[in-house]
Formats: sequence, C-alpha cells, structure tokens
Amino acid sequence: MTGCAAAARASGSRFLIVLLVSLLAACGQNEPPWGLRNISGFMPSLDFTLTEASDGATVHGKDFRGKVVLLYFGYTHCPDVCPTTLALLRHAVKALGTNADQVRILFVSVDPARDTLAQLKTYAAAFGPGVVGLRGSADELKAFTRHYRISYGYGKPDSRGAYEVSHSSAVYVFDREGEIRLLIGSTDSAPVITGDLQRLLAETPGASM
Amino acid sequence: MKRMLFTIVMLGMVVTAHAGQPPVSVSDARMRWLPGDLPMAGYFVITSNAPGRLRLLGAASPAFGDVMVHRSLEESGVTHMAHVDGVDLNPGQSVAFAPGGYHLMLMGRTQELHAGEEVPVTLRFNDDQTLVVNFRVTGAQDE
Repeated sequence: MTGCAAAARASGSRFLIVLLVSLLAACGQNEPPWGLRNISGFMPSLDFTLTEASDGATVHGKDFRGKVVLLYFGYTHCPDVCPTTLALLRHAVKALGTNADQVRILFVSVDPARDTLAQLKTYAAAFGPGVVGLRGSADELKAFTRHYRISYGYGKPDSRGAYEVSHSSAVYVFDREGEIRLLIGSTDSAPVITGDLQRLLAETPGASM
Repeated sequence: MKRMLFTIVMLGMVVTAHAGQPPVSVSDARMRWLPGDLPMAGYFVITSNAPGRLRLLGAASPAFGDVMVHRSLEESGVTHMAHVDGVDLNPGQSVAFAPGGYHLMLMGRTQELHAGEEVPVTLRFNDDQTLVVNFRVTGAQDE
C-alpha cells in the first residue's frame, strides 16, 4: 500500500489523475492473498433455522452475527473425515488464544435420522468449546442445504442397518456480518486457517470485500 | 563355529515357529476416541518386509464387535467411505492408514474406552498370517 500512497501524493496533471485512479483501483484488487480460497459473494449470507443440540433451542443464522463462523456438514457415525476435520478446526481456532471465543464451529448433521440431539450434543462437546452441534428435520436440512447447494446422500443400509453418508468435505467461513468469505479444503493446514481467521477477526465491520 | 551354527539353526526354528506372523513392521498405531458407541477410526503405518506380495485382508479386536477396512475418498468436493476387501503390500512398500484415506472402522464397543489406553487389534493377512498390534486411544481433539 506504500506505493499506492506515493502515487496519490504525486498527482498533478489530468493525465496523472486518470493514471492515479486506475492505479488505486489496482491497489484495491491487490489486497494480500488469503491462505484459504476466497469465495466472497459466491454463497448467500448465513441464514438458517435449526435446533442447537446443547440445549434444544431453535437457532437462526443471524444469531451468530458478530462471530466468525466455520460451517461444516457431517454426521456422528463418520469416524474418519468428520472428527479429523473438527479436530483440525478446533486446533486452528484454539491457536487464536483469547480470540478463540470470537469464532464458532457449526457442525450441521446431514444424518438427522441417527443423530439425535443428545448424540449430537456429546459429539460436539468432545471437540471442545465453540463447537456447536446443529440438527434440523429432514425438511429443514433440505431447505438449508439447497439454499447453499450443499450435497449429501445416503448409501444402502448393511445387514445391521448401518449406512454410509456422503457429504460435502468443505468448510465454509463466514465473517462477523454473516457474509461468505473463505473455503477450507481438505488440504489446508491449521496455521493457514488460523492466519486467515486472525485477519477476518481484525476487520472492522463494513470493510469486507 | 559349532556354537554359531547351532545359533543359526535355533534362529531358523524361531522363525519357523512364528510362520503365522507376517514380516511387517507397524508404527504409529492409534485410534481416535469418540463418545458413546460411535464407530471409531484406527490408523497406522505398515511396511512389508516380505519377499513377495502380502495382502492385508481384515482386522479384529476384543474391544469391538466388528472391524472393517475402509477407505475415505473425496470426489468433486464430496467425501464418502467405501469398504475395501484388502490392501496389497509389495515387498518393501509402506502404506499409511491415515485420516482421509485407508482406516480401520472399529464398530460396536464391547468395553468402555478412554484416551491413553492401549487396545489390541489383530491384523489378518493372506495365508492365515496374523499380527497383534497395540493401538493407542487418542483424544477426539488430537491431531
């Protein structure tokens, strides 16, 4: 940005002003790259109606305004990818220190048939504070996932009735104002996530995008 | 010399006596604890020292009713799990059972488990070869 400020001071002729305007526009686009994938504007802002597993209360997306939200879809009978992802997110958030409380990890069950509120509550709690288990009826879940174009599907039940659930592997990051900003993929590391969360938390309201 | 020969013969007998155990080394065997009776995932790194191809066919543990070899796959941003019939190990090859890939799916706990405990798991290979490996139970939040 120092170069941009210098260009602004050097203004003089009309030509220079035109040059300056285009330079400043370029400066705006040249914000330092994010460690995670920037998906600003590619999804609707955070909005849903679901039930919070910890107390059975109805919660809405807007209830999380003021917090940076990490939105993840999974199910409790998922022993590999879901716990690994939640542990990674928890580590990344924990590394924020005193700011960790400014972030919420929302774990939305895509398997409401098996994930009772009680089961979801103990599951979310196992991953530490700040992890919120959310459950919706089949219809609520369908409405929510359709709105965000999140895919999930159920495999054939085996002889014991156990079945596999395929689900989106991404984690969606919303800023304090509930706007979609970043996407965490399966190869992103905890330090990269922590770094971007720090940056999001440092933003002043209204300064996004 | 005679003594040395005797030792070699004895060593040969020891190896013969353990013919049911495959020449593999296993490290970092662990399983991630989850609450209640939710299925857990087991991870390890296995290296084959066998002269020929070895195949891991399955596993069992007294702490679980059922253990399966699974593999998580990610396709176009969607994760799913698949049961696998076996994992081939070429001579000298190492295969990591790691998060997001191959793992043991440990189902139906027969006992309460806690982080820090060790749980024996028997890995089953071709030709009735078996190997008992102690898996460390890690906390849900451990990486």
